[in-house]
Parts: sequence; structure tokens; C-alpha cells
Amino acid sequence: MNLDYRELAGFFEVNGVSVIYILILGVFAGIMVGLLGIGGGIVLVPAMVHLLHMDQHLAQGTSLFILLPPIGLGALRQYWKAGNVDLRAGILCATGMILGAYIGGKIAVPMSTPRLKGLFGGFLMFSAVLLWMKARPAQAATPANEGRA
Amino acid sequence: MNRQSLVDTGVLLAGVSGGIASGMFGIGGGVILVPILGLLLGFSQHRAQGTSLVALIPPTGLLAVLAYAKAGYVSWPTGLLLIPGVFLGGIAGGNLAKRIPAAPMRRIFATLMFLLGIWQVYGAFRG
Repeated sequence: MNLDYRELAGFFEVNGVSVIYILILGVFAGIMVGLLGIGGGIVLVPAMVHLLHMDQHLAQGTSLFILLPPIGLGALRQYWKAGNVDLRAGILCATGMILGAYIGGKIAVPMSTPRLKGLFGGFLMFSAVLLWMKARPAQAATPANEGRA
Repeated sequence: MNRQSLVDTGVLLAGVSGGIASGMFGIGGGVILVPILGLLLGFSQHRAQGTSLVALIPPTGLLAVLAYAKAGYVSWPTGLLLIPGVFLGGIAGGNLAKRIPAAPMRRIFATLMFLLGIWQVYGAFRG
């Protein structure tokens, strides 16, 4: 039996990119999630497009798939212990998101790749501005929202 | 309408907006939820982030994933390979966040994201 090295190497590759490379990329994206308290998708989508050479649609679909399991559970535990969770509001948000995500998916899938890529770029810039604003010192908290049930 | 139901309606609408961004751009939606909860609905920064994390626990993107999958836009092996890393990295990042100042990190990341956005738009125009 002769072993085809290229076939063996192909087993450890996805789209010609080493499995180890992909695993490390996941860890890096996860660190950003825990560190900045933001969704992993905003790191994962550009990383998959530029580093794994994926199509914009394919990267977005794969990112949504990655976000299905409760990967933020560990981070949530930290916030819960500090009493910084509004469970009622969170559940309401989740309900709205199920509907919204369906609408968003329906809009994006038939869109052409260059247009979606451009829109995503615009969205990244918009999010960057929001993230920058968050870095400012906290404003005076309103007493109504500081009460811990 | 009393104040509570007014806030509830606002929160529900925040969820729908976050969801549309999530489905359209393949992201979690927290990046939209946190500023809406904080800036528009008056949640404190920590409470907004903790509440956004609750909304990200259930698989809210399931219908969107199905829409992408039907069009062949999901790379299952890459996704499965990235999940363990993101999970473990998230715990590491959460611990690291307690040790280093968050504000400059956010700004560095925001700048990086802005430049990436410009790159994406440039790429879209170039075709």
C-alpha cells in the first residue's frame, strides 16, 4: 500500500488551509469576544473572508452556524455574579432577534457578493464608531436602571 | 402605557434590529444590542453587556442559518473547527479583561475594525 502524502495532507486541510491554523484563529476570535464583550461574528466574518479566502456569503453563513451553540455562557456567568444581567430584557431581546435574524437572512442571501461585501464594510465602520463611543467614561447612571432585583 | 411596558416594547424592537443585523451580516448582534440598550434605553454599560449576552445564549440565528444553508453558504467543517477555539478563547479573554484596561483595548479594536471596513468597501468596488 502506498500512502499518498497529498491525500493525507488534504485530510488536515479545509479549502487548502491547515486545520491547526483554523483552530488558532478560533481561539484568537474567542479572546476578542471575552475581552471586549462583543459578538464573535464581527471578528470571524472578516477573518474567514481575508485569511481563509471564503466568499462573503459563505463566511457569513458559517459565522452564524458557529454562533448557534451558547459560546458566551462562560462570559454571562461573570456578569451574572456581578448582578449585571436583566433577564426579562434579555429574553425579550432574544425573542425579537429570532424574527429579525430570519428577515436579515432573507435579505442577504439573494444579494450579490460585491454589494453584500460593501454593505458589510459600511456596517463595520458604523460598529467601529459605536464601539469607540462605548469607550468614553460612563455617564451618570439613572437610578431606575441601577436597581438590582 | 406604563413605563415598564414602554421599556419592554423598546427592548423587543432592539432585539428585532439586532436580529436583522445578525441575519444580514452573519454576526451575533451584540454589537448593535449593547449600544441600543445603553444609549437609547438607559441601561448602564455593564448591565447592557450582561443583558446582551442573555440574548445571545439561545440559538436565535437558527432560521438565518437555515436560509444560508439552503443556498449552500455554510462551510460546516470550518465552522465545527472554529467552535472549540472561540469557546476556550472566550474564557481566556474574559479573564484577561479583568487584568488589562478595557478602554484603550476597545479603541485599538474599533480603529482596526474601521480600517477593515474601509478595506471591505474598497474590495467591493474593485469587484
